[in-house]
Amino acid sequence: MSLIKIALAGEGGQGVQSVAEILAEAAYNENKQTIYIPNFGLEQRGGVSIAFIQVGDTRIGAPKFNKADVVIALSERAVGRTAHYSDKNTLYVYDSGFSPAAEDFPQEAKQIIGIPAIDTANNELHPRVFNIIIMGAVIGLTNVVTFEAAKQALEHKLGHKFEKNPDLRELNYKALEIGKKMAEDSLQQEGVSHIG
Amino acid sequence: MQKVISETKKAFMTGNETAAWAALAAGAEVMYGYPITPQNEIMHYWTRLAPKYDRKFLQTEDELSAGFTTSGAVQAGVKAFTATAGPGNVLMQEPFGMAEAMRLPLLAIIQQRGGPSSGTVIYSQQEVTLTTYGGNGEGHRIVYSTATHQELYDYIIKGFNTAWKYRFPTFVLGDGYQAKMREPLEIYDPEERGIEMVKTYPLIGREGHIGENREPQHLCNIYSLEEELYDVVMKTSAEYEKISPEIVEYDENLCQDADVLIVTHGVVSRAADDAVKALRAQGIKASYFRPITLRPFPAKQLREAIAKSGAKKMLIAESAYGQLDRLTKQEIYGETIVIDHLFMPGVGIVDHDIITKVKSML
Repeated sequence: MSLIKIALAGEGGQGVQSVAEILAEAAYNENKQTIYIPNFGLEQRGGVSIAFIQVGDTRIGAPKFNKADVVIALSERAVGRTAHYSDKNTLYVYDSGFSPAAEDFPQEAKQIIGIPAIDTANNELHPRVFNIIIMGAVIGLTNVVTFEAAKQALEHKLGHKFEKNPDLRELNYKALEIGKKMAEDSLQQEGVSHIG
Repeated sequence: MQKVISETKKAFMTGNETAAWAALAAGAEVMYGYPITPQNEIMHYWTRLAPKYDRKFLQTEDELSAGFTTSGAVQAGVKAFTATAGPGNVLMQEPFGMAEAMRLPLLAIIQQRGGPSSGTVIYSQQEVTLTTYGGNGEGHRIVYSTATHQELYDYIIKGFNTAWKYRFPTFVLGDGYQAKMREPLEIYDPEERGIEMVKTYPLIGREGHIGENREPQHLCNIYSLEEELYDVVMKTSAEYEKISPEIVEYDENLCQDADVLIVTHGVVSRAADDAVKALRAQGIKASYFRPITLRPFPAKQLREAIAKSGAKKMLIAESAYGQLDRLTKQEIYGETIVIDHLFMPGVGIVDHDIITKVKSML
């Protein structure tokens, strides 16, 4: 696979950094080259939080990048904050539950796609697995990691919670699947191919 | 001392976690520190790991104190280290200056953040001048600038040995990106790799009697007479210059034949390496030179790279406004190669930035 660059952005507390960490760990476990770096600032809570993930087969250079292959913006503010990571090759994904101002969207993108991640989490599953739906969506949009590796990484990260409450395991796996399907359906509707 | 890593292991972790593991594997006995982003997790991981291996930690009241307590511990023969960043690095220059004066083998890990002042908590390469020449003296210290987690691990282990072998304060200069990002590396026990860890020794309170069976230890940071200080500084300078060739480290690629020579250090050299490959693929003869030791600087090797490559132009790229540039120029004084620069203070540099700049120069 060639190098895939992903920027995940959301409100502090939405869990984008945990998702990025689990994805990066899954890629590492599949013997891929990977770097994950959080964008961190002074705020302990609130503010837009961005995670930069790169996955490839060969040694990865700079930890950050100017343009991403995939941007996923999960709040209204995150759209404005991440528009400049998009160029003509970027699949720009945002949560369709928001209606960001037209000028906040990127000037250039291969395709801009809205996905109903927050609605799906709230109506079909549980708000707490919103970030896992997003993790599933990343897998649906790219082939950075296999579904199996993602499940294993999830187990590794949340296994102690699953032990206490086995229903959580099912809920998380389901979220992962729904997220993947949601992304695949969106790609199909828009007639865009999978990244990588 | 209990072995920390029994066999080589692959790991995927942050640079700060890497630093804590490296210090443990190197046999560090104590860390003194004061919290500051982006190096906090070195302390956090150290405090989590240290008790399991009978190592110690003290959080001091500020960075001045962290630097001085580290200086005190090494005088007692204890393998001690500290870590800091930004304004903390500014405060620690006073104890670091004393460490230069008294030739104290301390190790300090610096994770550069944006400056001046509190700047950002994120990233920069703006602590180069401070870390190389921040004392009120001649920069008699050793500074390794790392680019990857593997190097962070390797050079922290090596840094302890350099400090205790040569008795100069030693620095491992990372940055906020290296501190916070996760990437793969191998962690290992140094002895298993054939790296012999230099034994520590007390600098004061040694066995024996002065004048009978041992020389006096005169660790001094203040002198009554100008001439006394002059003699000490001249002696230290001569020793520093003598050992420099043994310590100097650098990395270069494609310097045999080039039109442009790209000089970077630390994490930016990863982008430079990629840029050189991309430029070569486009038929542009670019080459790469990277000082790993910023003090002492690989001046001879850079001059040789200029000569053998035949490059007419040099690009110095850094996440600062001219700190590596100044350091490099003073070291290669007299060279006639045209020097251009890419200064991006406090922000990251990617291969694309370097490629665009190089194309604009040719």
